[in-house]
Amino acid sequence: MDSTLAFAKSGAPVASGVASPASRVAFAAALIALATVLGLVEAALPPLAVVPWLKPGLANIAVVMALSASGPFVAGAVSGGRIVIIGLATGTLAGPASGMAFAGAAASLFVMWGLSRAWGSLSPVGWSAAGSAAHVCAQLLAAATMLDSPSLLALIPGSVLIALPLGALIGSLARYLVSRLPWRQA
Amino acid sequence: MTRADLTLIAVIAVCALVAWPMAAGASSGGSGSVVVVGPEGETTARLDENATLQIAGTAGTVTVVIDSGTVRVTDSTCPDRVCVHTGAISAPGSMIACVPNGVVVRIGGEESDGLDARVR
Repeated sequence: MDSTLAFAKSGAPVASGVASPASRVAFAAALIALATVLGLVEAALPPLAVVPWLKPGLANIAVVMALSASGPFVAGAVSGGRIVIIGLATGTLAGPASGMAFAGAAASLFVMWGLSRAWGSLSPVGWSAAGSAAHVCAQLLAAATMLDSPSLLALIPGSVLIALPLGALIGSLARYLVSRLPWRQA
Repeated sequence: MTRADLTLIAVIAVCALVAWPMAAGASSGGSGSVVVVGPEGETTARLDENATLQIAGTAGTVTVVIDSGTVRVTDSTCPDRVCVHTGAISAPGSMIACVPNGVVVRIGGEESDGLDARVR
């Protein structure tokens, strides 16, 4: 990953301040690697006591960074890419758990992108908090649909209340990391 | 964090708090019963009778143990075992879900108002 980052850096500082296409690809690849590592670390963490289906969403740090620094397409690539890689690594890719992951990730990304476009005074902290709320809603909707069990929707309010601070934390970590990038992405 | 972030988070939190009573009221079923919904249909058991249920799921078997008024999943053939980690549930409306196996364990009961008993 060091060499990938070095490449991302070397191609970056064009006079206009716009990153070269090669550096954008390298940056996206580095973020997918980051998301994958964070996702695998999270998969190995012990589940939370009362709500074992809720995770802090560490991999979303990389997605928020991508959205903030490179825009929605790179963010989508990072989000989709890491689900496939983590699914392959943990053996859950073809199962319903990945369906929930895709539903959550898509809803989260859509909400974060929409908010970042429509509400300029929001920071990544706000996108990420709303995105994580959307994530749990979509996941529980997907689970309720797959299990044909609407009573699962009763878990939404409580899960959203837990997801909001976790999402805000992830967003502030992502914002900090983007602010420390040694080059500018466009 | 900007002021807009705080506003957005507060709005979502208020929505969740408003939706909470509605969601809690949605739980139904006979009081003191354990309802297990799996791919092969629904199984109902009594909460106050100790029992071990073997539920056939889509990926294998889910073992549900009812023990002194609490229900827990002790074993399941799923990769992440979220259902096992959920631990024991006992409150009406609470549930354990095993998504890979397509099994949901729910404690039935009238809408819980948070009171232990009501004297008329």
